[in-house]
Amino acid sequence: MDRAISLGKPMLRVSVAPHILQKITTSNLMYNTLIALVPALLAGIYFFGFAALKLALICMVTAVACEAGMQGLTGRKLAIKNGSGLLLGLLFALICSPEIPWWTAVAGTAIAVILGREIYGGLGNNPFNPVLVGWAVARISWSDHMTTWIMPEPLFGLEPGGYIEYPPLEVIRVDGLEALVDLPWLDLFIGNVPGTIGTVSVAAVLIGGIYLLARRIITWHVPVSFLASAWLFGLIFWLIDPETYANPTIYILSGWMVLGAFFLATDKGTVPVTGPGMIIFGIGCGLITMIIRYWGGFVDGVAFAILLMNATTPLLDRVRPRVYGRVKEVA
Amino acid sequence: MGPKASFRGVSFPPQKVSNPAIEDAPLPQRVVLPLGEDRDRVCQPVVEVGEQVKTGQLVGQSADFLLAPVHSSISGRVTDIRPWFDQKGGEVLSVIVESDGIDSWQEELRSDERFLERATVQILADLKASGVVEIGPPAMPLHAKFAQPERPKEFLFLVGIPRAKMVDTVIINGIDAEPGMATKKAILQKNSSEILAGIKIIQKLLGSARVVLAVGSNGSLNSPLTSELAGLGVRVFQGKDKYPLGLNPILIKCVTGREIPLPDGSEQDIGVAVVDAVTLVHLVEAVRDRKPQVEKVVSVSGAGMSAVKNFKVRLGTVISDLVEQLEVLKGEPVKVIAGGAMTGDALFSADIPVTKETDALVFQTAGEAKSFSPDACINCGMCVRHCPAKLLPNELSKYCEFSMFEEARDEYLLHCIECGICAYVCPEKRPMLHLMRYGKRELSLV
Repeated sequence: MDRAISLGKPMLRVSVAPHILQKITTSNLMYNTLIALVPALLAGIYFFGFAALKLALICMVTAVACEAGMQGLTGRKLAIKNGSGLLLGLLFALICSPEIPWWTAVAGTAIAVILGREIYGGLGNNPFNPVLVGWAVARISWSDHMTTWIMPEPLFGLEPGGYIEYPPLEVIRVDGLEALVDLPWLDLFIGNVPGTIGTVSVAAVLIGGIYLLARRIITWHVPVSFLASAWLFGLIFWLIDPETYANPTIYILSGWMVLGAFFLATDKGTVPVTGPGMIIFGIGCGLITMIIRYWGGFVDGVAFAILLMNATTPLLDRVRPRVYGRVKEVA
Repeated sequence: MGPKASFRGVSFPPQKVSNPAIEDAPLPQRVVLPLGEDRDRVCQPVVEVGEQVKTGQLVGQSADFLLAPVHSSISGRVTDIRPWFDQKGGEVLSVIVESDGIDSWQEELRSDERFLERATVQILADLKASGVVEIGPPAMPLHAKFAQPERPKEFLFLVGIPRAKMVDTVIINGIDAEPGMATKKAILQKNSSEILAGIKIIQKLLGSARVVLAVGSNGSLNSPLTSELAGLGVRVFQGKDKYPLGLNPILIKCVTGREIPLPDGSEQDIGVAVVDAVTLVHLVEAVRDRKPQVEKVVSVSGAGMSAVKNFKVRLGTVISDLVEQLEVLKGEPVKVIAGGAMTGDALFSADIPVTKETDALVFQTAGEAKSFSPDACINCGMCVRHCPAKLLPNELSKYCEFSMFEEARDEYLLHCIECGICAYVCPEKRPMLHLMRYGKRELSLV
């Protein structure tokens, strides 16, 4: 049969709708998160000197190298340009003490990339936050190296904060609440205390977190429910017994709490995607963090709280709003 | 009147629309008039090859309640009656008319200002004879929309839905849903007398139904129209400029608070009829002027055009002829999309005619055309955040990708309203809507 339409003309491209796509890509998300972490890294350099920058570079290079190696070995498309390896490396460095030996950093990052993520099939397919997997292995294997702290020595401007010799949470655990009486909350807020590179300065992390919220890279659900539930839980115990339990605000301003809430507990792929699911996830993180901090074997519970809640993510994804047009089945 | 429900969605950058609001496209040299929607359901041609036809002359009709009659949109000679491709790629029997360049009408149009005094049955008969089609989706002849439950209702039989309800709310959709569409706003500004007349006809047809006119936030109505609407008891629904408010399922929810029961339900089941603002004008022409539908206002955009232009195009104008005559495109298009940029169909050939369902044509050059990527989902949740049907498109897309269609159905795949937002926002540029449709199709074959 002769065709109504001649096929000799230049062919048109056929594709399924939609025919316009938003500009945001995966690498946008990753590089924006990296930008959001820059204040925290700068604060780390400011308080702990260039050792912090060196550690960050070591971790980032290791992460990208391991990522490329694994993608090559498993025969997948090389995707190191999307920035997810850089982000993973930087986050690992930010939750380590600036004093850890280089091989600890390399080993921890390699475990994070290989066992934490690539072995499951790469970005988004890993059940647990890879950074925390790497950190947990390093923390348990090389406990002494991972908990060696140095005093902050600001490069310029501020006086070194010399009130405490190790991170505030350890001070509470070891010396009791009295030791913290003299510590100015401003030092705690801007990060003039011992601790890990990226978590000491709550102010710097908050700037990054607000940037992520403003750019809509993350939603408010996880950070807000995480911080609010931890604070309220702390408040209850502080009201019951202020001699044993510190002011809940101290718990928010110390340790990994803010970095955890904005950056670690919002890691793509390991957290629920529905609104209610994210809120329950955040509340779970907040409560488990505080429980570990009060009565657990570890001084800071953020990492293990997030890892434990990661395990509930597939379940929490079932908690979802009613879909459009759902009616009761007529028998 | 504000929205009764909020919904998730996306906002697009505002689009420019050129002046004048609607231009007449030149008379085409030939038209291709498809006699139905698919190969198996077509009207019987009532003209023969070689016959002279006039504009508005009946060329095809059917006893099927859900098939609109077809009229010639130009005057000239029938050169062929044969299958021609439609925009979905199927072949449909079509009448091809070569123009004589005169455009002489079947009969002089006599505007009857006392159209409201006619009997309801007469109005419905005029409407049916004129072949006006409501574009939907799903598209159907307009008279079928106003058919009440006591009328023939083979199209109302639905699984699990006890009984179709009487229409108690008619929503006039005056919202240009997607980028590339600008016809409704133009109609609302230019044809306010037709809008009023159309509302009066609807009120006459469906006595007890309330009428709601839905407009976008910048679809400003002029003040005399607003006061006249108030006089008719018509409520004006002012919506946000957020996609997919203009799509029927979401519009109905925002205006009435009701949801179409999915997967098998339709708007009739909840007593709602949505009428496109452009279709309303055709309704008035059909009843007042007894004019068959031979034209369609089409938005043309893309391929380097700085603004969307609206043209009144004769039905059956072949798109490649239209492009040559209009001379508005700046670049060579590699993609021709019938419909808006979010839900339209990319055509495999530009030799396809404009039909009663074509409300926009979007052209894209090689630089403008986007492509999808086969990468894996990273579970970022962006699609979940924006899905107006509150689905989990990330999981659905993976189920469909790996042929787990039953699981996808249990996760409400059939509740997807195919707005395309999941694919629009996906940072990995996965072909989300494609996977949804693939899954739906596979399930429909079981």
